[in-house]
Amino acid sequence: MAAAALAPADSAALVAEHLSRSFGPVRAVVDASISLEAGSVTALVGPNGSGKTTLLLMLTGLLAPDAGRVEVRGLDVATSGAAARRLIGWMPDVFGTWETLTCREVLETFAAAYRLPPAVAKERATTLLATVHLVDLADAPSRVLSRGQKQRLGLARALVHSPAVVLLDEPAAGLDPRSRIELRGIVRDLAEAGVAVLVSSHELAELEEMVDAAVFLQRGVSSFAPPTAALQPWRVHVLDGAAFLAWSAAVGLGVTQEAGGAGAASAVDPAACAGPAGPTHPTGPAGPATFLVSLTGELQAAQLVRDAVTAGVALTRFGPAYGRLEQAYLAMDTDRR
Amino acid sequence: MSAWGVRTVAVLEVRQRIRSTRWKVALIAFFVVVGLIAWGVAAAVSGVGDSEWLSRQDAGRVLFGVVLMVVLFLGLLVSPTLSATSVNGDRAAGTLAVLQVTTLTPLDLAVGKLLAAWGAALAFLATSLPFLVWGAVLGRISPVRVVASVLTLAFVLAVVCAVGLALSASVARPAGSALLTYVVVAGVGVGTLIAFGLSAFFLQRTEVVQVYGVDVGGSGACSWSEREETQTHTEDTAWLLGLNPFVLVADVAAAPAPSLNGSDPLALMGAGVRFAQAGARDEIDECWLDDGGFGTSTPAGSAVWPWSIPVYAAAGAGSLWLAARRLRVPATTLPRGIRIA
Repeated sequence: MAAAALAPADSAALVAEHLSRSFGPVRAVVDASISLEAGSVTALVGPNGSGKTTLLLMLTGLLAPDAGRVEVRGLDVATSGAAARRLIGWMPDVFGTWETLTCREVLETFAAAYRLPPAVAKERATTLLATVHLVDLADAPSRVLSRGQKQRLGLARALVHSPAVVLLDEPAAGLDPRSRIELRGIVRDLAEAGVAVLVSSHELAELEEMVDAAVFLQRGVSSFAPPTAALQPWRVHVLDGAAFLAWSAAVGLGVTQEAGGAGAASAVDPAACAGPAGPTHPTGPAGPATFLVSLTGELQAAQLVRDAVTAGVALTRFGPAYGRLEQAYLAMDTDRR
Repeated sequence: MSAWGVRTVAVLEVRQRIRSTRWKVALIAFFVVVGLIAWGVAAAVSGVGDSEWLSRQDAGRVLFGVVLMVVLFLGLLVSPTLSATSVNGDRAAGTLAVLQVTTLTPLDLAVGKLLAAWGAALAFLATSLPFLVWGAVLGRISPVRVVASVLTLAFVLAVVCAVGLALSASVARPAGSALLTYVVVAGVGVGTLIAFGLSAFFLQRTEVVQVYGVDVGGSGACSWSEREETQTHTEDTAWLLGLNPFVLVADVAAAPAPSLNGSDPLALMGAGVRFAQAGARDEIDECWLDDGGFGTSTPAGSAVWPWSIPVYAAAGAGSLWLAARRLRVPATTLPRGIRIA
């Protein structure tokens, strides 16, 4: 994940500049800019109500921005209309399916709406049903699909016309673990094929595994380089808690013991362990234990591992307590609306 | 707009509707209701059909007229349900925005949805055709008249569908647009008659008229004289009747000419409109000596369809335009309460 600066390069498949949009007195999007590179996956991250869906509606050409413009491969979405929309595949966060149509018919109808010839439409439908693992349900009416299956059909629908830019709004919602992993694969395959993908999701850990860049949206304002805290929490698993505490006290390292193991860690605010915290358990447990340490970066982490191992500390696992997206997200001045 | 796009939308709409069993049940119910009414009318008129005053042909005309009006009435009830929820209903179901992002144009969507709704309305009309043909054959009504009246009926239903479509594209909630469409239908179906009736009170003037009557005290023969009469100038508001769909269809179907003599309901309606068009008369014929009748001949008047068909066409086209406008993307202003997706 490279939080690259906004550089509207020639390879950008979609460029949006300084978009804003109000609904009456509500300023949904204030100033959002985004650039999606062909062959890369970009994450769109922001708290509820930060304007993600409104931004995506403007990118798809459904909603006219009050100011700013959106270009897809050089075509202005506002003026090029269908020609620009032809290049975009969109999976909304909430959508319905025509209940009496079968999955295959839904896909073929969309292919027809994109003016694909019937033969091509049939072939695309078959391919995509296989991609999203709905072959068994291809000829079942879409009303029998479960939420996750509908979500997969929605993804196939967004891809039916082989778009150059794919915008996915919460694509993983309602998916089972296997489908989530497969979604990741589908998204990566799209990028391999040269498609520019934008994924909005709250599943940051999952998102991090498939994205190349991230755009953060906060109170309707986008940013590429989110403010990151000076210190980040790292998680240390050791075989002997007491020995580790003794070593850390000796080298002057501030550590916090995690009570409930990895599960409880998600509830810990990184800001809480940003300061120089002293050992909370001077004696410490004799058995295996987990600790959080605050480090300035990977350099210090490498140093810590080397020192601890040299000193004979039985380290079993060591790594960042949060993903980078999670860290960046938590470092943001998050305000849910 | 493209034929491809319109076809795609229309096929989708029809597929969605035809597979719902409710729709098949509605068609069968429509057939049964129209059939029962036709049978009832046929039984009633054949009961008196042996008498001298109602010939077999007249009985057929009554049957045709009643069935035509009943089919129009039911069609006006059915059509709004087909189109008045087709845009905001799709919006609520989350199936509209995903179509708007495709290469389909707003006009493709509007025209496709209109054709699908109209096609469904025509299916109802088609189920009642056997009964219309039955009446037409009995009444020896010329095929041209039958075709013209069925086409006019179909046209009226198309306009109603278009109005429903426009309202469903403009109003946030499906229930709201369905209700408004029924208000419009009631407005033209009943409101025009009420407005015409009420207007008559305001159009009464006392005027001097020429009367050709029997000079009872004098010669005993008919002669002209002057008299003050309270006259109702319905000719000023007769155009209101032309907006009524029943009047419009009856006017086109009236065969062979509007007349107060006889039992053909369409001819009676046509004659009523002619009298309203004529309004107040400067000259009144009260002489019964010459030919036995006085003033019962239907005024010439003029057909209402040359006035009402353009008005209906304009309303339909305007509605379609409005619906397409509301479906345009990127959307700039959104009506209150409407979410894109």
